[in-house]
Amino acid sequence: MKTGRITNLAMIVMGIILLILPFVYESRSLIILLTQIFIFAIFAMSYDILLGYTGIVSFGHAMFFGFGAYATGIFLQRAEPTMGVLLLALLVGVLISLVVSIIIGFLTLRLKSHFYAMLTLGLASLFLVLAEKWRTLTFGNDGFTFKIPELLRDRVHFYLLCLILMLGTFFLLKRFTNSPMGRVLQAIRENEQRVASLGFNPLYYKVIATVVAGVTATIAGSLYVMSLRFVNTSVFAIDVTLDALLMTIIGGVGTLVGPIIGAGIIEFAHEWLTSLASSYPIFERWIIFFGILYILVVIFFPKGIVGTLQSRFTKVKKVEVHRDEKDENIAG
Amino acid sequence: MELVINLIINGLATGMLIFLLAAGLTLIFGLMSVLNFSHGGFFAWGAYMGIWLFTTTGNYLLAILGAMAVGLLLGAFTERVIIKPVYGNHIRQILITLGLMLVLQEMLKVVWGPNQLPARAPEFLSGSWVIGDIVIIKYRAFIILVGFLVFFLVHFMLKKTKIGLVVRAGVMNKEMVQALGININRVFMFVFMLGSAMAALSGVLLAPYSGVIYAEMGLEFAILAFIVVVIGGMGSFPGSLFAAILVGLSGAFMTYYVPDLSLAVNMLLMVIVLSIRPEGLFKVKG
Repeated sequence: MKTGRITNLAMIVMGIILLILPFVYESRSLIILLTQIFIFAIFAMSYDILLGYTGIVSFGHAMFFGFGAYATGIFLQRAEPTMGVLLLALLVGVLISLVVSIIIGFLTLRLKSHFYAMLTLGLASLFLVLAEKWRTLTFGNDGFTFKIPELLRDRVHFYLLCLILMLGTFFLLKRFTNSPMGRVLQAIRENEQRVASLGFNPLYYKVIATVVAGVTATIAGSLYVMSLRFVNTSVFAIDVTLDALLMTIIGGVGTLVGPIIGAGIIEFAHEWLTSLASSYPIFERWIIFFGILYILVVIFFPKGIVGTLQSRFTKVKKVEVHRDEKDENIAG
Repeated sequence: MELVINLIINGLATGMLIFLLAAGLTLIFGLMSVLNFSHGGFFAWGAYMGIWLFTTTGNYLLAILGAMAVGLLLGAFTERVIIKPVYGNHIRQILITLGLMLVLQEMLKVVWGPNQLPARAPEFLSGSWVIGDIVIIKYRAFIILVGFLVFFLVHFMLKKTKIGLVVRAGVMNKEMVQALGININRVFMFVFMLGSAMAALSGVLLAPYSGVIYAEMGLEFAILAFIVVVIGGMGSFPGSLFAAILVGLSGAFMTYYVPDLSLAVNMLLMVIVLSIRPEGLFKVKG
């Protein structure tokens, strides 16, 4: 519990610093970069609910991102760009994600890890095809631009909204993962048969994890297209899922701070490597470095940055824990 | 009538290419329970290497052999360096092979540039035969021939040779094979290299068929191969041939009759098969 309190405190301090930042230090590019980080942190956290907490590998997480993105884009373009319409769009996006994730969950979560990964990959590409073919609504691959509500046009306002939503998502998901429900999910990750034999229905809990992850990803997708004021089929692409995967793995699976740190590292590295590309052409292929990093992390730091630090930290503390356990045993 | 025959030939040719890719995947999965997401990378490397050799030397046989050699080398490297540390952990396997896929794909762009490259068939395979109303493009017939040849060769190897026996036994129960004193690790490596070489062969055969090669073709075709593996039943070699032809034919007919659905049809096929028979059409008995 102590480490939990420390991370909470660290998050609050970081949140306050980031809240004040735009008023103290005015840099348009930094604000935009941080906004991107917040949005992808939300997305990566939602992915971690699946990968890190429940042990499900989904390759179709981009589909929920895309629902949020297209719902927002279509509503804001067709109707007036007001806050009311935006909220309605979000609601519709969340509803679609809710329905789709429940259906997909019941259909596919019985399958073993490989089959599930591939089936979600397939389903996401179905939606990609749908978005490409339904041109009257989506304008296909060309996409379309739209206006966003007056209030959010200011970069600083939008930055604050994303920051608050990220912090909100963090604390809500933390609450969720520490709840009895979240504990069952983690138990499923460790040993599914055992959970079933204890009388919990794993399918039901997995569906709930998918729904929570899907709905959170929808919000991230909506924010993402609002930051671009443009949406096209790339929001459904596998790259989006891969980004979330990479952020989660590098930051640390099974922790919520990990994906946030991962999002920060990836977005900063992306920015930095693209800026290097102008002087060294090899950096145009910055994905190579990500790929290599990715392989190295999976082999050497399977727990990611946060996970590795955490296990160091708990190793030192282990002696104390043992003593506590003994006391409990005696008491029991 | 000639339309239907042409569509069947197209579908068979595509199916054979997918089969070559999927056969390796299914054997690797059946034997080592590794789902290799970098398989498409071997495929794309085979295509680039083959086309590069073909344009520089003009020798088509050399191009095919070169592509397969690249497949063998990449396969050996991948099995030893990338997959060995993560045997037994499915999630890490999926993640690490996906990382390798990204590296392979981007390396192609580093070596040969990010643009599409043209690819043409060799002189003796371009053109077509005309029989009555039916036009048979030579290169497509060649692909179908090579596909069946590889199928029978590997099938013969699996059924009639000692190594094939070990592989089949390993698919059913690898602990037992190991207990009988066979070094299963060497079998793993052999199957992995075989599968990678088949993927590279598929790539070099595809290149003149589609006319252009590009780095992302690996992942695109790998997805088709995954669908085939799932439909055919993971670990089933004849199943992958059947499913590949099914996917190839349905793709060819759908592209002609309902082009809007052509991309979705394979996914639908997979969803239907998985909901009815979660183990695929040809289940490997264990």
